[in-house]
Amino acid sequence: MNKSKFNITPFLFIGPAVLLLFVFSFAPILVSLGISFTDMNLSGLANWSQINFVGLDNFIQLFQDEKFLQAMGNTFFYVIIGVPLAVASSLLIAVLLNFFNNWVSSTFRVVYYVPSITNIVAIAVVWSFLYNQEYGLFNYLLSLINVDSVPWLEEPVVARLSLILLAVWKSNGVSMLIFLAALQSIPKIYYEAADIDGANRWHKFFKITLPSMSFATFFVTVTTLIGWLQFFEEPFVMTNGGPLNGTNSMALFIYQEGFQYSQFGYGAAASFVLFAIVIVATLVQFKLRKTD
Amino acid sequence: MELKNKFERAVVLFILFAGGLLVSLPFIWMILSSFKNDREVLSIPPTLFPENPTFQHYIELFQNLNFGVYLINTLIIVLFSMFGLLLNTMAGYGFGKFDFRFKEGWFMIVLITMMIPGQVTMIPTYLILNEMGLTNTMAGIILPGLIAAFNIFLIRQFMVTVPDDLIEAARLDGAGEFYIFFKLIIPLAKPILAVQVILTFIASWNSFLWPLIVANDESLYTLSVGLALLQDENVTNYGLQMAGSAFMVVPIVVIFMIFQKYIVEGFNVSGIK
Amino acid sequence: MKQKRLGFLLVVMLGAMLVLGACSSGGSSGGSADEDTITVWTMTPELEDFVKEYEDESGVKVEVQAIPWDNAHDKLLTAVASGKGPDVLQIGTTWVAEFAEAGTFLDLSDYIDEYPNFNPDNFYESAVETTKYDGQTIGIPWYVDTRVLYYRTDLLEEVGYPEGPETWDDVKDAATQLAARGDDQYGIEIPQVDQNFPFMLAWEQGWQYEEGEGAANFEKPGFKEGVELHHTFFEEGMAQLTEGKQLYQAFSDGSKPMFFSGPWEINSINEQIPELEGQWDVHVMPEAENNNSMIGGAHWTVFNNTDKVDQALDFINWMADPETQVAWYDTVTELPANMEAWEDPKLAEDEKISTFGEQLESTQAVPVIPEFETMAQELIDTLEQINRNDADIDEALEEYRNQVSSILSK
Repeated sequence: MNKSKFNITPFLFIGPAVLLLFVFSFAPILVSLGISFTDMNLSGLANWSQINFVGLDNFIQLFQDEKFLQAMGNTFFYVIIGVPLAVASSLLIAVLLNFFNNWVSSTFRVVYYVPSITNIVAIAVVWSFLYNQEYGLFNYLLSLINVDSVPWLEEPVVARLSLILLAVWKSNGVSMLIFLAALQSIPKIYYEAADIDGANRWHKFFKITLPSMSFATFFVTVTTLIGWLQFFEEPFVMTNGGPLNGTNSMALFIYQEGFQYSQFGYGAAASFVLFAIVIVATLVQFKLRKTD
Repeated sequence: MELKNKFERAVVLFILFAGGLLVSLPFIWMILSSFKNDREVLSIPPTLFPENPTFQHYIELFQNLNFGVYLINTLIIVLFSMFGLLLNTMAGYGFGKFDFRFKEGWFMIVLITMMIPGQVTMIPTYLILNEMGLTNTMAGIILPGLIAAFNIFLIRQFMVTVPDDLIEAARLDGAGEFYIFFKLIIPLAKPILAVQVILTFIASWNSFLWPLIVANDESLYTLSVGLALLQDENVTNYGLQMAGSAFMVVPIVVIFMIFQKYIVEGFNVSGIK
Repeated sequence: MKQKRLGFLLVVMLGAMLVLGACSSGGSSGGSADEDTITVWTMTPELEDFVKEYEDESGVKVEVQAIPWDNAHDKLLTAVASGKGPDVLQIGTTWVAEFAEAGTFLDLSDYIDEYPNFNPDNFYESAVETTKYDGQTIGIPWYVDTRVLYYRTDLLEEVGYPEGPETWDDVKDAATQLAARGDDQYGIEIPQVDQNFPFMLAWEQGWQYEEGEGAANFEKPGFKEGVELHHTFFEEGMAQLTEGKQLYQAFSDGSKPMFFSGPWEINSINEQIPELEGQWDVHVMPEAENNNSMIGGAHWTVFNNTDKVDQALDFINWMADPETQVAWYDTVTELPANMEAWEDPKLAEDEKISTFGEQLESTQAVPVIPEFETMAQELIDTLEQINRNDADIDEALEEYRNQVSSILSK
């Protein structure tokens, strides 16, 4: 393409979407950024003259708020364990499904997608039973092999791990579809050539499959990371952040402290701390990919 | 990669079955619970099959839900969301296959919109809609959800893998840019578009927040809002909720079945990396 | 050619959108433009059919917009932010302070005398208390809600309380005996996340919240006694700390023969565990210094931006009428806020409902201050530290007082 002269074509393609996104998503973010430096609450929302600029007060206060720091620690815990698990498990399912090209794959594509379209309340009810300390299925099964009952949701660290398990279970659907689409796009010739060279299966997986679908892996990793940093729904419906604040996440903290109690300035500040973490994590991934 | 023998096939099949059961259990429970009375829904240990099957929740659902209006609104939103998908696809193609000034900056703006929890921007977005005079309008409901950074990003990732030669060749043949996009790129992107159609359909079919916030009139409510209205403040009617979800999920499964086969089709064009 | 057709398509689509927008953008500011139409926001969809009678009587059209409970807060926020709301809106007692502080509602003080049904003497005193904020009266009580003790008559009879426990000492005695029946048997279910419950316990020990005193309120002895009472049940195994069974299952199999709840539970139990009929009853709250329970429920308010004040007030006047309130009780079993309505046989002759009526005589409101919810949530966290983490009560309460002062100083 001739770079010296201005080319309108790309802007015809990205223009409408970027414009709409700018007005309805990006501009509100800028407004929120402004709010994060104020003490805006419900009264301020009703009457803007009551909003005071407080500089960095909200941010300073956040880093003195034990609850927030705990939520931040919990969020890192979720991300560090959850993201690799979530990416690996959806990749594994996609690879297994890709072995078949008949009713098996089309049926199981639906089956493995089903958690994404199951009502969250149904998920909460069923999993609460599985995790129930006295009457739950998991502890019943463990008792059969003489293992003491596990406090699945009643002890902070265990509860975090339980929520990760639930979230991985629930999140596989979309990533799996994307991996499947990517797997299908790998030309068979590659494998045939490798067969001639006598490559074994692992070799083929790491030398052909993974590199050929790096565009999908990158996408899934980035979006999964962004999603998990905003971990919200699982603690919201299962534990509401408890016990002892042990499963609280940053996104849940923002929801509770900022919006349930209408402390918009404080909530916005907390979301920009979260935002800073998300953007650093994302940029690191983009950089890593460039150096590949 | 292929499986070598019957034994391997059996092992993989077994794993898929076992995993599939685990994964779909709450879904099955949701469907079956819509036929249970309220007490049975929450009993511990849970029952899988209803002891005294009842259609009571479905009857209640159809009697109390203002179906006609809610369904039409929902379908309008779905229709426009597909138009939004077209815009997303165009943008993804633009970011993936063109070079222009500040491309990375523009793309960052797109990505940034994914990085802030929705509730933070809800009120500013509403105020913008209000300034534009779009409150209590269908446009106000549709516009905030029309474009999704997730979709643009996914398409861009896919477009990067489409060889430039293919597009250059078409240009040399004198094809216009939009002709290339519709006749070459879209057919090529079928699998990823199938994923997108499914995701877009689900999101718009379930749209809840904006119809509720923007509407000052029940005539703009959607099915999801209507279902939420059936819930009491103090007593959660689980059976009714499950019936509602079971009802809402049917079209999703149908759409999924139709489009999932495209995910594994296509890609006959040789020479794609 | 192709390119042109696409361009055309885009224009048509965008055009369609604008038309869609233009079509539906009718009423601009608060409510409908029509003189004889008022818009009403409620969280109870049954109201839609209920107002027909009023429409026939008054000739005013009432456009009811129902809003799901879980999202009502968001919806109200956007109304406050844009100034575009309904004419009349329902507000839960717990939201009064924060929205009143933001100036959401019209001050009704000057209108109280104009409408006979607005007379504060008609309503339970504690309900009226929750309509007042900063010297204003922002609403008229619609329905009320309170908590009482639900208990299994057969099981309580076995431990010597056939009529239910009268005092907290009775409750502890009965619960201790009942919990001693064996493993997985408890005496009572004690709420751990209910924001009102710990305050009720404190009131019953003679504690009161005085607005001017701030965090020092929580130094007064009654408060600590309430917290200790809460802790005793868990410490001595009378109540279950972990999630356990679904409550109705535990109530029905007898493993939790007592719990606290509101009026809606009567119908729920009748529907879901019909076989328990005759084996359970309700009793007013156990007594220590007093047996005060909380007052909840909802009020009718007028949105500050409305230009149809008279129509709005006339509608509220109709809703506050004892007859209307009885009819509403008949429709959805919400308890009337108007005391005259309680004389109706539908309420007076129902023994269980009458217990609620009796309890309503001794109710009080949680502090009507915007900070209440944050304060209450901190208290829940503090109790969790005490009950689950064996935190020392005095230290935990001192920490709580620090939290409260920082909340109140914001």
